[in-house]
Amino acid sequence: METIGFLMDGFAVALTPYNLMFALFGAFVGTLIGCLPGLGPANGVAILIPLAFTLGLPPETAMILLTSVYAGAMYGGRISSILLNIPGDEPAMMTCLDGYPMAQNGRAADALAISAIASFAGSLIGTVGLIMLAPVLARFALTFGPAEYFALFLLAFATLGGITGKNPMKTVIAAVLGIMISTVGIDISTGTQRYTGGVLELYEGIDFILAIVGLFAISELLFFVEARMGKGRSKVKVGKLTLTFKEIVSTIPTQLRGGVLGFIAGVLPGAGASLGSFISYTLEKTVLGKKGRFGEGDIRGVVAPEAGNNGAASGALVPMLTLGVPGSGTTAVLLAMLISLNITPGPLMFTQHADIVWGVIAALLIGNVLLLVLNIPMIGVFVRLLSVPPMYLLPIVTMVAFVGIYSISHSTFDLYFMIVFGVGGYILRKLEIPMVPIILGLLLGPEMEKNLGHALILSDGDWTTLWSSPLAIGLWLVAGLGLVLPTLVGPILRRRMHSAMKEGPVSD
Amino acid sequence: MTAMGDRILGLCLLVLAFAYGWVAQQWPEPFGGSEGLGPETFPTILATVLVVGSLYLMIKPDTDAQWPVGKSALELVISIIVLVIYALLMEPLGFIIATTLAVGTLSWRMGAPPKGAFVTGLVSAVVVFGLFNYGLSLSLPNGLLGGF
Repeated sequence: METIGFLMDGFAVALTPYNLMFALFGAFVGTLIGCLPGLGPANGVAILIPLAFTLGLPPETAMILLTSVYAGAMYGGRISSILLNIPGDEPAMMTCLDGYPMAQNGRAADALAISAIASFAGSLIGTVGLIMLAPVLARFALTFGPAEYFALFLLAFATLGGITGKNPMKTVIAAVLGIMISTVGIDISTGTQRYTGGVLELYEGIDFILAIVGLFAISELLFFVEARMGKGRSKVKVGKLTLTFKEIVSTIPTQLRGGVLGFIAGVLPGAGASLGSFISYTLEKTVLGKKGRFGEGDIRGVVAPEAGNNGAASGALVPMLTLGVPGSGTTAVLLAMLISLNITPGPLMFTQHADIVWGVIAALLIGNVLLLVLNIPMIGVFVRLLSVPPMYLLPIVTMVAFVGIYSISHSTFDLYFMIVFGVGGYILRKLEIPMVPIILGLLLGPEMEKNLGHALILSDGDWTTLWSSPLAIGLWLVAGLGLVLPTLVGPILRRRMHSAMKEGPVSD
Repeated sequence: MTAMGDRILGLCLLVLAFAYGWVAQQWPEPFGGSEGLGPETFPTILATVLVVGSLYLMIKPDTDAQWPVGKSALELVISIIVLVIYALLMEPLGFIIATTLAVGTLSWRMGAPPKGAFVTGLVSAVVVFGLFNYGLSLSLPNGLLGGF
């Protein structure tokens, strides 16, 4: 019951006209980011951080804006899956399987509408799950000592590559690189200058915002330049909406199953939205078996993955808000915003910054209603924007990134740094070193060192303290599994996801 | 099917790990002794992990990605140079001129017709400048167009 009271307070925060305006703006921009080529959710949120920061938005407003963008991007990803058979972002991959055939059968408008409804249902289920689970988990997390936190951070890195990750060693290397970058600057506990080389700008450390924007936005531009994918896509006709009420009702069980499965996949470390949509699609196929015409444009084949990936998106916020340990790229970027607002993420946030946490959760609910309203009548606008060629879009996005970084500090030094990160990010991405662990390393590195230090001080320098409590041992074990499992199970799962994509009659 | 990319990366990371770890050993012990964690402890752990990771990369490399050659590589270098020049000229030339040139050149090199590209650059520059300077009152550099 306590929770309901907090949620009401949250609504009071989120429903002020000022915050509502930003939620609406975020939902719109998020959908755009999700559907535009070359602008993934993590990338889009990253570019908005410096802007939210320089605008001097109050913390709850900034978080509401970015959370709405995050929710919107999950909606937007489906548009190009359905119309063009090209997933707008990775979790929208499974939506191609039945969405595109539906569009080819002349039911594009129906597919877009039902997927918007499914996204709404999935997100709603996920958010309700978040509301019930987060306070419990936060209370549990209060029992964590520094040793447990240290193990938890390791777990976060180990599972970040996901069960489907290719080479866990590359995740480890990426994480270490990120943490190494975070050690540049003056050491907080002893005052020693580390790796600054006497450069004044480095004394305070490397600002992770410019690193994130460089790694995402600039490297994305370089990828498009290399692939010479500047030309836009041809315009697509959507047609009339013929969806009947009966059809919507008939998909309700699918929506419920997809949303719940997605939420679970989102909360668990190492799973994430892509796996969420994959699992719910496969389950739907097994449950309905012969009764469905999956792969040929079955409406439930659109509903299941969309409910799944949106459920997972809300689920992924659970570890981010309660433990301060994000499980996906976009939630990592949201964490960056929290840290730069001087809010220490973790269980204490629920007591110290209850207005922000619950404001964000309420905004997620409101944002979903807004998104549903935006996405059904205004779908034509988004479809038209889908054909904006990247050769115009990406340079402008890059320029916005420059403006954002410049306006934080008014120094061109930061701009050069951002370019360096962009080029470095391009090279590392070419070598299949993932970006997200680098960013997480940058964000969590200082916390990790602090907790290690505290643990050692409490135990008088005895290193075995790190694995002396049962909880810590459990975390170490899961972390170990997170590194070992991908090499064992990963190839099988990847092959399945791959062959599911191939079975579709459309992917030639 | 070679795997030179990962091997070279592994070698670079190995060198980095040693340099990073060695620098950490040079710091003077902080005043008050090293109870618990010294400034060098955490970097030393990181360096060790990176040594292991880089050795693994060199022993078991993945197959190489397709690296850009010829024209693509040239376009990439041009783009990077454009970005650096953009950062360099933003303050002296002012935001509008620098942005028109940078966005224009980039989208032209990505395949847009030159006229369309530079018009896009100019329009986006003016819109963003107006939005920031007048709408949000965050000043972007005026540069040459001082009285604008």
